Amino acid sequence: MRASRRPIPWHFLIPALIAGAGVLLPLAYLGVRALEADPRTLAELVLRERNLRLLLNTVALLVGVLLGTALLALPLAWLTTRSDLRGKRFWTVLLTLPLAVPGFVGAYALLGATGPSGMLEAVLGIDWPRPWGYWGAWGVLVLFTYPYLFLNLRAGLLGLDPSLEEAAQSLGYRRMEVFLKVVLPQLRPAFYAGGLLVGLHVLGDFGVVSLMRYETFSYAIYLQYSASFDRVYAAWLSLMLIGLTGGLLWLESRLLSGLSFSRVGLGSARLARPVPLGPWRWLSYPLLLVPVVGALLIPLATMLYWALRFPYENRVSVTEALANSAQAAAPAALVAVLLALPLAYLGVRFPSPFSRLLERTAYLGYATPPLAFALALIFFSLRGVPFLYQTLALLVLAYALHFMAEAIGPMRSALYQAPPRLEEAARNLGFGPLQAFLKATFPLLWRGVLASLALVFLSSVKELPLTFLLAPVGYSTLATQIWAYTSEAMYAEAAPYALLIVLFSACFVGLLISQERRR
Amino acid sequence: MKNLRIAIVAALALGALAQAQGTLTIYSGRSQGLVDPLVKQFQAETGIKVNVKYGRDAELLAALQEEGARSPADIFWANTSGALGAAQPLMIKLPASITSKPSGFMPGSGTWTPLSIRFRVLAYNTQKLKPEQFPQSVMELPQQTQLKGRIGWTPTYSSFQDFIAAMILVHGEAKTKEWLEGMKRLEPKVYPSNPPMMEAIRAGEIDVALTNHYYIQRFVKAGYPIGTYYFAKGDVGSLALVTGAGILKSSKNVANSTRFLIWLLSPKAQQFFPGELFEYPVTKGAILPTTLNPLDDILARSPKIDFEKLQLDNALKVLREAGLL
Repeated sequence: MRASRRPIPWHFLIPALIAGAGVLLPLAYLGVRALEADPRTLAELVLRERNLRLLLNTVALLVGVLLGTALLALPLAWLTTRSDLRGKRFWTVLLTLPLAVPGFVGAYALLGATGPSGMLEAVLGIDWPRPWGYWGAWGVLVLFTYPYLFLNLRAGLLGLDPSLEEAAQSLGYRRMEVFLKVVLPQLRPAFYAGGLLVGLHVLGDFGVVSLMRYETFSYAIYLQYSASFDRVYAAWLSLMLIGLTGGLLWLESRLLSGLSFSRVGLGSARLARPVPLGPWRWLSYPLLLVPVVGALLIPLATMLYWALRFPYENRVSVTEALANSAQAAAPAALVAVLLALPLAYLGVRFPSPFSRLLERTAYLGYATPPLAFALALIFFSLRGVPFLYQTLALLVLAYALHFMAEAIGPMRSALYQAPPRLEEAARNLGFGPLQAFLKATFPLLWRGVLASLALVFLSSVKELPLTFLLAPVGYSTLATQIWAYTSEAMYAEAAPYALLIVLFSACFVGLLISQERRR
Repeated sequence: MKNLRIAIVAALALGALAQAQGTLTIYSGRSQGLVDPLVKQFQAETGIKVNVKYGRDAELLAALQEEGARSPADIFWANTSGALGAAQPLMIKLPASITSKPSGFMPGSGTWTPLSIRFRVLAYNTQKLKPEQFPQSVMELPQQTQLKGRIGWTPTYSSFQDFIAAMILVHGEAKTKEWLEGMKRLEPKVYPSNPPMMEAIRAGEIDVALTNHYYIQRFVKAGYPIGTYYFAKGDVGSLALVTGAGILKSSKNVANSTRFLIWLLSPKAQQFFPGELFEYPVTKGAILPTTLNPLDDILARSPKIDFEKLQLDNALKVLREAGLL
């Protein structure tokens, strides 16, 4: 492509190399541990027929959830960007919030709501069948992961140049044809980026599938650590999972190669005129309400219902956990965006096998089971930077490195849409590469940056294994408190934290969404 | 202004006191919801500043193994004898001032002390089943064909694995495998932990569950129709499980750590376990709530086995061969 002949500017290369190295450390650790294995036991544990079955289970769930989230997220993203739906920002915040609910809480609460004398029957008289098995895991994962795709698609839709669609329309295409032939193909980077996150989430999920009694591969990894207290064989299983992820990444990069969606026209893009929904409006509400009711209303109502039913024994103080969550997650979001930006930039503007590889490493960090990721950081920080061990700084860094992949997608989609010619023009005007980027391209990435911040923030707020192991001693967050109380069936104590995690995330996402139109 | 100055002086003095008493760092697999009041009380009584890292047994143990001698932790406090057994190489031999306190369950290695006891029981839906319908021994459970599809269990959960290890010790590996195969024919449903299993009884997904006694108590308090069935005295289905803690070799505060463990074995702290958590104490003299059995009676129910001889590895192997892990 045009820019690839030029040498990669060091302002981008060095941070990108640092980010890549940070993510590869855990892999090195897993390698160290994996090599300690005794070959015979290894063969027994790894090459089992059961592992093959788990692998098939995992792939089946992966495909199902990808399809489900795509079918849900696309209309939602379109409604909240392109239609004349009222309260688009309000809906956007609500529709993003399922990301704030930790998966194990969501799944557990849905189990508490359903079945005879569940919350729904006690309050509304509805005996809804209990979710379980493949379809249970599918439904719950779709409900709690579609926002990854939704946010990416929204950023993509908002960045599209409406003049393309207008041109198609003026050529006589009907609206639906324009959508299928012009809009949808342009959303491919957003689909791939969001779908990759959904996919990696499904591969790594342990909380939801175990509660739905559906066994997948990451379930086996967790069992290896928790049942046999064994770091060596767990490392092997983790490496196998990372291998699976590698396959997914390879597939995505094949699909992405050769894409270019930037505007070629002069001047800056306008916002598209909203499409009137007309009588379809009444159909859009049920669609908007399904995820809001299923992933937010019912879980929160169940927590409240439990809170009223179960005895309240401990006085809880929420302020400290709230402050701790904010202190760790907000800087983590910022650092992750700073680390991901050069990776995304190199991947789009200097496409080469090397820059692609660098970008992909970020996803490997995301695919590394968090428990293994945390152990790796313990291993290296104690040997290299012991003064950082169990400090807030290390926790922030861990979140940022682990969730960096979530930050890449939205910015990459935005970069695909930002015309390189603007930056070239800035270079011709005498600006250096960094200045040219900041003046010409960065402003166009704004919406992507906001979506990236939101994604990393929400993931960090609800994160558990990294927090357990890397946080300073005595440091509890909203998520660790929810876990501590729900795992002992102390729902009255858990409820305030659960409500707060959603409210707090709502405030943060609301703040980001309100910034979308500023530039 | 003067008040402020007094307050500052007082705060400084308190700070200095805390400094003088030193600190204590605990890695606790027992969750904050359960044991935080105990930690707070110890801190208030002694002035020792206690920092706790809460987590899950397995994760904290993995962290301790990675940290080795560099660990900032003084004490490892865990839910299961399995985790404590695995942590044994990292812990010091406890002094007699601690090991003389518990009335039983002291491990032969002397590297950790039991702190409270739980029991394996059968939970059942009181609206659908009567205790007379259950067998005397858990070993006869596979023959209860009327329970097909109605049983819940937690093969991935540590307490269940301890139970299988005990079964191997008492009845041998062949019998244990036979039992697992028999149970599998009853098509039991697998749960990751005990509270979701209690929810499943409520929802009619299952009607009986192999679980630990204290979970039932909490759900009964919330009005769930769940009853507790105890198998006959000495039956492996009534196995006692201990929680406990030990002092790590990496500890730089052995004196404070010792003091904490002795305090946890004091009558006041021991009373906390039955009073607040429905767990049984390990020292004599605590007053038990009416929903719990007398201590002597319940101790007589558990099979007499040496807990050091429980082989978690064997249990895992058998469970893997049965396709349950």
